Amino acid sequence: MIGEITFGQYYPGSSVLHRADPRIKLITSFWLIVVIFVCKNFFSLGIIALTAIITSLVSRVPMKMILKSLKPIVIILIFTAILNIFYTQGGATYWEWWKIKVTEKGVNTAIFTMIRIISLVVISSILTYTTTPTALTDGLERVLSPLKVFKIKVHTLAMMMTLALRFIPTLIREIERIMNAQKARGADLETGGILQRAKALVPIFIPLMVSSFRRAYELALAMTCRCYTGGEGRTRMKQMKVSFRDIVLILYCTAATAGIIILNIFFEAVI
Amino acid sequence: MSYVIEAKGLSHCYSKGTNQQVYAVKDIDFSVEKGELIGIIGHTGSGKSTLISHFNGLLKPSSGQILVNGTDIWKDKETLHNSRFQVGLCFQYPEYQLFEETVFRDIAFGPKNMKLSENEIKERVLRAADYAGVKKEHLDKSPFDLSGGEKRRAAIAGVMAMEPEVIIFDEPAAGLDPKGRKDLIKLIRDYRERTGSAIIIVSHSMEDMASLADRIYVMNGGEIAMQGTVDEVYSQGEKLRSMGLNVPEITEIFASLRAKGIDVPANVYTVEQGTEILKKLMGRCSS
Repeated sequence: MIGEITFGQYYPGSSVLHRADPRIKLITSFWLIVVIFVCKNFFSLGIIALTAIITSLVSRVPMKMILKSLKPIVIILIFTAILNIFYTQGGATYWEWWKIKVTEKGVNTAIFTMIRIISLVVISSILTYTTTPTALTDGLERVLSPLKVFKIKVHTLAMMMTLALRFIPTLIREIERIMNAQKARGADLETGGILQRAKALVPIFIPLMVSSFRRAYELALAMTCRCYTGGEGRTRMKQMKVSFRDIVLILYCTAATAGIIILNIFFEAVI
Repeated sequence: MSYVIEAKGLSHCYSKGTNQQVYAVKDIDFSVEKGELIGIIGHTGSGKSTLISHFNGLLKPSSGQILVNGTDIWKDKETLHNSRFQVGLCFQYPEYQLFEETVFRDIAFGPKNMKLSENEIKERVLRAADYAGVKKEHLDKSPFDLSGGEKRRAAIAGVMAMEPEVIIFDEPAAGLDPKGRKDLIKLIRDYRERTGSAIIIVSHSMEDMASLADRIYVMNGGEIAMQGTVDEVYSQGEKLRSMGLNVPEITEIFASLRAKGIDVPANVYTVEQGTEILKKLMGRCSS
């Protein structure tokens, strides 16, 4: 159950996007996400949707995997669509019953928001599918390094993120192990009210905390043994270099943005 | 029939229906009689842990049946829940499951889940602590203040306190020093003598198995490759080696002695046995 979450996972491959500089990927993904909210009508939104589709094709991540990343947000999608349909009013009325009215504007907003959210998730999952967690945090560290001016410890933050990502699967396995051990002693985790269920989590939560602290301590020790002293003076095995493909990636995003701005001007806004 | 646990045609399959479909265990027939001590050996990844997780219903078989005392444990929720108390499962490194404020309360966790009376719980905890060799003065301590070996005993007591008809130990001696290992084996043997309960041990140690088990199942690639008494299984050294297992070192030594023409038996599996025979042999030579 918990093991099936794909959002934020890496999908090994060797496409152009896999090989692109993580810094550029971070920047362009963030850029596209901002642009999603600039779209004002279906034509400009079409460009974003098209960009999302082209990018996923280029990444060579199977469509099945990309659709899988949408699975956790299906409920949010349905929920926002329903809210939008019934709460946004205006334009021609399609359907009416008692106080409930479905209007042109409501339907448009619902579809618009859905496409927006889907593109948002698709673009960000392509980022994580094509970038290893290490490369991602490395890239983030570099992108955020200007913040050092404000005395923010960017390296420490990036290291914390790397470690957190690294330990997610370990913790999941640990939880499963402890759950099995307590179930074997007759712990009932599935029935009862909220209070009872919360209580039933104690036998799982405490051993989990204990072993997490133990792990953290061991990890700190191992890092100290390898002379880790923080970001100062650290060099990298993999140097990041901006290459031709990264420039193409930037141009590609610029083109999409330009298209969106032009279409925003030429066509009437829907939202 | 007097089988406590019986598995019939048990298979477990991960990612069923996809192209990544893998059988963790396949077509397993397995049985434990009352009071019997069964050993399961096999290479890492041979499906031992998957198999034992079926015996108390932590995993549901993809096909086949698990019968505990003749009843299918997946018959209904009630039966499934009760099977947890009939079949005690003690995982690898059980000390990581301790959570209560005191050792006493941790051992009482199982009996409490059985909804027993306060008195009954207390009796069982004291009895289990005695079986597992948990010192009386430790019962009021926090489990986190105990040493590694003591923690493990406390955790084992937690399973014994449910007084199951079968206890399954998954690598009970993992991570212990030789003395701890020896003590633990003695503990299991004593427990068996005192309660007459059936025991299943999963282990890598061929030598420990030789001194403990009545019958042995050897698993390989999710299937049962061999089964029988210690003699029947250990005499097929070649076959064991082909599965990445080894006969005990002492057996190897005796085999090379035989190869040198010295008249010693081939079925020596424990150091104690070996020492006895060598003593006799030496006595004969010197006299």
